[in-house]
Amino acid sequence: MSTFFQQLVNGISLGSTYAVFAMGCTLIFGVLNIVNMAQGAFFMAGAYFGLEAARLGLPTPLALVVALLGGGLLGMLSELVIFRTLRARGGHRWMGLVASLALARMMVGLAQEIFGTQVQRYPANGLLQISWEIADVRIQLLQVVILVVSLLLMALLAFVLQRSSTGRAIRTVAFSEDVARIVGVPVGRTILATFFLAGALAGAAGMLLGNLFNVVSPFMGEQMLVKGLTVIIIGGLGNVPGAVAGGFMLGLIEVFSVAYVSSSFRDAIGFGLIFFILLVKPNGLFSGFEERRA
Amino acid sequence: MKRSVFALLLSAVGAMAFSSAAMSETLVNIGIVQATSGGSAALYGVMQKNGAELAIEEINASGRLGDYKLIGIHQDDAGDRGQSVNIFQRLINQEKVAVILGPTLATSAFAADPLAQKAGVPVIASSNTAPGITDMGDYIFRTSPPESMVFPGVLAYVKRKYAPKTAAQIYGIDDTLMKSAYAVHKKALESEGIKIVATETFQKGDVDYSAQLTKIKAANPDILVIGGLAEETANIVRQARQLGIPPSTGILGANAAISNKLAELAGDAADGFTVGSGWFIQYDSPKNKAFVAAYRKKYNSDPDNFAAQAYTSVYIVADALKRAGGVSDLKKLRDAIAATKDLEANNGSFSFDDHREPAVAPKVLVMKGGKFILAAD
Amino acid sequence: MNAWITQFFASYSNIIDLCLLNSLIAYGLFLALSANMFSLATGGFMALGAYCSVYCTMVLGLSFAPAVFAGALLAALAAAAIGVPVLRLRGDYFMLATFAFTEVTRVVALNWESVTGGAIGIFSIPRYTETWHLVLAVAVVVYIAHTLRRSYFGRAIAAIKQDDVVAQSMGVNVFAHRLALFIASGFICGAGGALAAHLNYFIGPGDFGLARSVDALTYPILGGVNALAGPLVGAIFTTLLPEVLRFSNQLREILMGALVVAIVLYLPGGAMSILKLRWPGATARETKLAAATEQAQS
Repeated sequence: MSTFFQQLVNGISLGSTYAVFAMGCTLIFGVLNIVNMAQGAFFMAGAYFGLEAARLGLPTPLALVVALLGGGLLGMLSELVIFRTLRARGGHRWMGLVASLALARMMVGLAQEIFGTQVQRYPANGLLQISWEIADVRIQLLQVVILVVSLLLMALLAFVLQRSSTGRAIRTVAFSEDVARIVGVPVGRTILATFFLAGALAGAAGMLLGNLFNVVSPFMGEQMLVKGLTVIIIGGLGNVPGAVAGGFMLGLIEVFSVAYVSSSFRDAIGFGLIFFILLVKPNGLFSGFEERRA
Repeated sequence: MKRSVFALLLSAVGAMAFSSAAMSETLVNIGIVQATSGGSAALYGVMQKNGAELAIEEINASGRLGDYKLIGIHQDDAGDRGQSVNIFQRLINQEKVAVILGPTLATSAFAADPLAQKAGVPVIASSNTAPGITDMGDYIFRTSPPESMVFPGVLAYVKRKYAPKTAAQIYGIDDTLMKSAYAVHKKALESEGIKIVATETFQKGDVDYSAQLTKIKAANPDILVIGGLAEETANIVRQARQLGIPPSTGILGANAAISNKLAELAGDAADGFTVGSGWFIQYDSPKNKAFVAAYRKKYNSDPDNFAAQAYTSVYIVADALKRAGGVSDLKKLRDAIAATKDLEANNGSFSFDDHREPAVAPKVLVMKGGKFILAAD
Repeated sequence: MNAWITQFFASYSNIIDLCLLNSLIAYGLFLALSANMFSLATGGFMALGAYCSVYCTMVLGLSFAPAVFAGALLAALAAAAIGVPVLRLRGDYFMLATFAFTEVTRVVALNWESVTGGAIGIFSIPRYTETWHLVLAVAVVVYIAHTLRRSYFGRAIAAIKQDDVVAQSMGVNVFAHRLALFIASGFICGAGGALAAHLNYFIGPGDFGLARSVDALTYPILGGVNALAGPLVGAIFTTLLPEVLRFSNQLREILMGALVVAIVLYLPGGAMSILKLRWPGATARETKLAAATEQAQS
């Protein structure tokens, strides 16, 4: 039984990083109907921003802010350089996919050039090494902290989307760009804000995962991008609450497919499940929430 | 228009063809095929490129080869097999290399080495540890000891220390190197009568191993054998201890896990981690000390075993070149390489066995206080 | 001169082969894209074609031609099997479902050791693929694509690409047309996988993952999805790029990314649209049309 609860803890803490990352991916999709394949690279960049900040001696919360801002700025950059240009030139939506993949590739190359190919880690933080053992289940303080931070980020995003004027603008553009224009929403600026938010969430997720698993490498974004895409299918493209639920679900699915089936088939189970979900509920598991989409 | 695009592309290829270096009697082209971009292969590729280039520089400066000057031609295959084959073809036919060092990945080797074998150009690998590499032909050598050569020693030591009855295995299922290491580990454990109570896998890019390790913890093995690369192994070791797998459970790794990164990434959790290798940084010999110092001076970082093995490969070529009296006949060069015996290298005295595998004495190393030390019996 | 040609081929024959192979796959994707199917199933199809054909030649002892055909057929069957449910999905869900197919295929290949050899792969595969096989295959596919464009089928596909709802209301069986194209695309990619397997002595599950699928899509999109020569140009460009940029060493990845971004930004219709730049009127019209299509889809 303790093994079951241990796996539950494992799954929730893994899922929280998936959820934070996927929120950004789904947000962009909700507004622009595109997938930004460079989100994985922002995730990686966020981990390095946080790492460099931590190495400069900044306390962890400030380092997280650096990761957030860094990821956000890169997100805005991708909109300004690629997506806005493509929209203006009437490029096909596929072009956005290809260009954002190329951008990700450039960033990975750049990260290799600057930081080298070797895996790096965050400076050891004695405080976070503490762990408790409750009925044979190990819970680390680090896991708790990361879960709390993830939940805070989710709450923050919900607040921004629901209460702020930017959030209202984002929701209007997501509903319809034309309607937004008619009611006087500055569409260009709103889209830019969306890219900032998405990039910031990716950057924050990068730092959280880098801390949780002690890994920062130029290639860390590639796998995360795949996880992010998986999560947003489960949750429904463009559905923010769906991405949160989907993130935790994917974390738990992965952990429990290792625990009760086989680790060699972990990814096949995850993807098989997606396939199945798509067949029964083609708009994602939480398609009922569609009206609440960002 | 279509034709002109073609013409443009063809002329681009043609331009590359003409730009190759002029041949001279005293220049010896050495192909260095190492991935320096394109994913985790670059980790090993960069180290090997560094090791080989350092050795070439030293040999040229020492004047020990008389009129011969070694020219290292590094080409990055990005860990992509198609590119490895492209590079091999060009190095063999265009650059007329005397020998090729590499490639980084065993999968590339299986695709590209047959070309060199067919053309009669010797290949010396310094990171391929998969079985079957040297079976591809008599021109294929390696300085990286295969897992089957180092693991029995490790297991013998661990048997004395932990007297294990049961073992758990975890390995990278999508990595050629680790998949073959796993098979070697499994066979050795079984032949020692140690029962394997749990077998788990992970994939490249994974960072969370807690689900697998929780399962392993529940199986309560006496030892845990990891088939993973250095950064993977470091994380597995750390997470295993965090999840409460006790220090009395010994943890063993594969040859490829030897890296300075291990201690850095795993911290205190790595204490007692046991691994076998042909080389390690603290190996006490003048030759090795000189190598480590030179490497640090040139690259501002510590070498790892891949860098060391690539460095040795170049010295093997230089030594063979002298004995073969040049590179005009590559068959002679091959024979001289194959005859390498008791060459003073950074991991002791180096010889090739009949199968063109390295015959070095494998060393059992234990992590203590962030450093690998020779296991004391 | 003769000696120069011989040496040229000895040095670059593999690059030429890869250009042709990638062109073949590019046309497979070109067909899928012509009905707005952004498919990431290529890796999966190629894996099926490769493993099946290698099984035929190495285990069953079949000769090369039937082995390639068997591999292509298996991939086509798989395309039919996943196409029926998946083609009902909206654009991006379709993309992700086909990606799931590729990943599941890869994981199965990793685990089904008796046939695939797992991660260690299969080595010492006989080298049966000759350059002329690839030339022939590309020629046949180009011819078929060319003929299709002028047929009734081709016009129906063009209508689907513009707007599938309108096409449906005009009496075009959208589902059947797309399924037919998806199966054809699977067949071509399967054949590509079989030819690739017998080119370089070795195959492993890592060859057929997401990267493969994404690259395959990049070829026709970069080259241009409206021109018949687009896939060829895109495939050759993308295959030669890493070779041509090899001099730049570490900067290569960065340069490659930058070049692709530049092409996308300056030639949003693909490299082949460079031909149309001479007639600004035509380009403007096409741009408007593309924008209109875009809006209709979203």
